[in-house]
Amino acid sequence: MVERSQKEVWRLAPWLMIALLLGNFVLMAFDAKVEGGEYVIRSWTQTAADFVQSPVTTVTSSVSGYFSSIANLRSAQDENGELKQKVQELEVELKQKEGLDEENARLRKFLDLKEQSKYKVLTSRVIGRDPSAWFDSAIVNRGSLDGVKLNMPVVTDGGLVGRVTALSPLTSQVDLITRDKSGIGAVVGQIGESNALGVVAGTSKKELLEMKYVSGSVDVQVGQAVFTTGQDGIFPSGLKIGEIVNLVSGSATTPHIIETQPAARLGTMQEVGILLYEPPEKPEFEQKLPNATKSTKK
Amino acid sequence: MEGVKLTIALIIAILLQWTLRNVWEPLAFIDFPLIIIVYAAIQRNSIRALLFGTISGVAVDALSGGLMGSSGFSKTLVAYAVSEIARRVYLDNLILRIPVIAGACFVSELVYYGVHRLFGQTTTSDPVITIAYSVIATTIAGTFVYLGLQSMSTDRARLRKRKEVFAPRRQTRRRNPIRLGK
Repeated sequence: MVERSQKEVWRLAPWLMIALLLGNFVLMAFDAKVEGGEYVIRSWTQTAADFVQSPVTTVTSSVSGYFSSIANLRSAQDENGELKQKVQELEVELKQKEGLDEENARLRKFLDLKEQSKYKVLTSRVIGRDPSAWFDSAIVNRGSLDGVKLNMPVVTDGGLVGRVTALSPLTSQVDLITRDKSGIGAVVGQIGESNALGVVAGTSKKELLEMKYVSGSVDVQVGQAVFTTGQDGIFPSGLKIGEIVNLVSGSATTPHIIETQPAARLGTMQEVGILLYEPPEKPEFEQKLPNATKSTKK
Repeated sequence: MEGVKLTIALIIAILLQWTLRNVWEPLAFIDFPLIIIVYAAIQRNSIRALLFGTISGVAVDALSGGLMGSSGFSKTLVAYAVSEIARRVYLDNLILRIPVIAGACFVSELVYYGVHRLFGQTTTSDPVITIAYSVIATTIAGTFVYLGLQSMSTDRARLRKRKEVFAPRRQTRRRNPIRLGK
């Protein structure tokens, strides 16, 4: 390595700083302009990080699992009794359901209804969280080699988690629904039964979402569930987003102010499912709209 | 040798930053790479500190939901500022380094938040809380890291110095002056 005198270093430092700042600024400007694109730097770094994050996650989860299993032993006996009773109840319920399923199949055949195609779910493990305290993304151990694509929805058994925003061959970055940038077409209650349509977006408060543009004349109550409508062109319809926890009623001219708590436990999730879902192609006239260019790019 | 040691420390800091949040959420408030960047800047090697700032910043940004290059931008700026201060003020005392790491963290977080606002991006966390927690956590962690790094470098430096100073001198046995008087 070339040894430089202290004077040379002091002379060179401002120029190097300006060059590095400019480089970073260009990166930022490019990132802000082209949202959701695939970057070589991101992809390579995420692949490299996977070799560290995966073993660390495995070790920590096994250690915490060991301690929690010791703690769980205490309540195991009581739980066992409860579970035995529940199994008996469920057996009765299952027999009833078997009958209903047979009846359903017969009726479907009778009406000649085609089986609805359901999307595949790819189970994956959360191997990392956002290294910056400012954001809330997660990194999962499934990437483009597993068939994951940008904008695919991510769920847990509780509900919607977010969508894939960056990809590497082995991992994917998931932006959570609590992020302010995310906007999800949503409805209070089931589609077809409710008129309370709006957009769910993140807030600066953690674990809280805001539902916007719900007409003040529609009846909405605290405790009601919020589901996706599928109109945003990213998420399929019918996924549970959360439940209403706070409501400031609007009027005929002002919308309701609705705060929703996510159904999925975003802070503690360890395993998630990536829905291998691709939204239906937009009609040609919609793709020609000036503001449609950004979303149709892949 | 100092350069190799600091580079290894920076790599460890980046790896910790990537992994520790998944272990325990509050650890996200500690900015490990910044601690090493400030240490490098205090050693009056501004070029090394600047390169450390950009590399570690981009490495963290690549895994973050924030803008690519934003952390690199803030850390590079802080590295330059600290190295300029270290050029003018003697910062070899640990007590003086504590306010420097606290100030560096404050400026870094503020710039990070500022550039996101500049590009129309909103953060998930509350800025006041995030900055406050980050400054406290990074200052505490930084103090311990500096203590460790300082003890590692001073022990060897002291040994080297002692060898250089005393080796060529021949130590003679002092005679007892009382006996001499006899």
